[in-house]
Amino acid sequence: MALLLRTVARQGLCSSRLQLAVLYRHAVPMGTTAKEEMDKFWNKNTRLNRPVSPHISIYQWSVPMMLSISHRGTGVALSSGISAFALAALVLPESYPHYLDLIHSMSFGPQFLAFSKFALAFPVAFHTFNGIRHLLWDLGKGFKIPEVYRSGYIVIALTVLTSIGLAAM
Amino acid sequence: MAKLLSNRLYAQEHVKDKATALADGHGLSSSRAASKHWTGERVLSVVLLGMAPAAHLCPAPLLDYSIAAALTLHGHWGIGQVLTDYVHGDAKVKLAKASVLLLSTATYFGLCYFNYHDVGLCKAVAMLWQI
Repeated sequence: MALLLRTVARQGLCSSRLQLAVLYRHAVPMGTTAKEEMDKFWNKNTRLNRPVSPHISIYQWSVPMMLSISHRGTGVALSSGISAFALAALVLPESYPHYLDLIHSMSFGPQFLAFSKFALAFPVAFHTFNGIRHLLWDLGKGFKIPEVYRSGYIVIALTVLTSIGLAAM
Repeated sequence: MAKLLSNRLYAQEHVKDKATALADGHGLSSSRAASKHWTGERVLSVVLLGMAPAAHLCPAPLLDYSIAAALTLHGHWGIGQVLTDYVHGDAKVKLAKASVLLLSTATYFGLCYFNYHDVGLCKAVAMLWQI
């Protein structure tokens, strides 16, 4: 009741036309979207040339933080790799088996080959396992801090084991 | 008092229409689109996850082209999220998104070309591992 009176009084003071909206004005969603609010923030702060407060340079790094940025890093790296492969397929004159034979003819040592396979498998395995971890979060599971750490360590362990296993194949 | 109450009932009935009327054009419809995009990203991730063992167990041209599509789209949406986080300002966002779209299109085309004219993605990985 008091809210109603205050809202009506505000209407009168602003001398705007009286609408039925006054009764449920408080129930109407905000006039701006989240995107608009974010754009306003960035436009204002870049215009005023404000420096960004230190964040990653001062905050203590944690395992979940490192896994998170690694997920993004491996994602970008793998995407770049796929794009590079696709563009190479369009541009290079010879066929895939030709280039494989080329690598084969370079007679790299078995350890180097195994290490290369490990280096290729590692980001794929990590991104995949951490991706599953993300999907479980999307289902609402595993948000408690000990669970976050535990699932993180499992992802690391699975990544290393899988990469070693694949490198040995 | 009774008039105020009946007015409030009228108001409640029409809140939804008013909200939609106010918000459509931006707010509500773009939230719906964003929500669908989010769900689409997760569905695609699960689909892509299933393609990995499939590629190993039963390599086939159909799988080659499916992986090409799923992989490219997953990467495209992923890079899109990175852009949203780090690129600000209407002009820069537009330019960045257009560039990524160009790259993703070229990537998809390249992978399909590889599938058609060369050994195909599943076979390619198998052959690479046999070096």
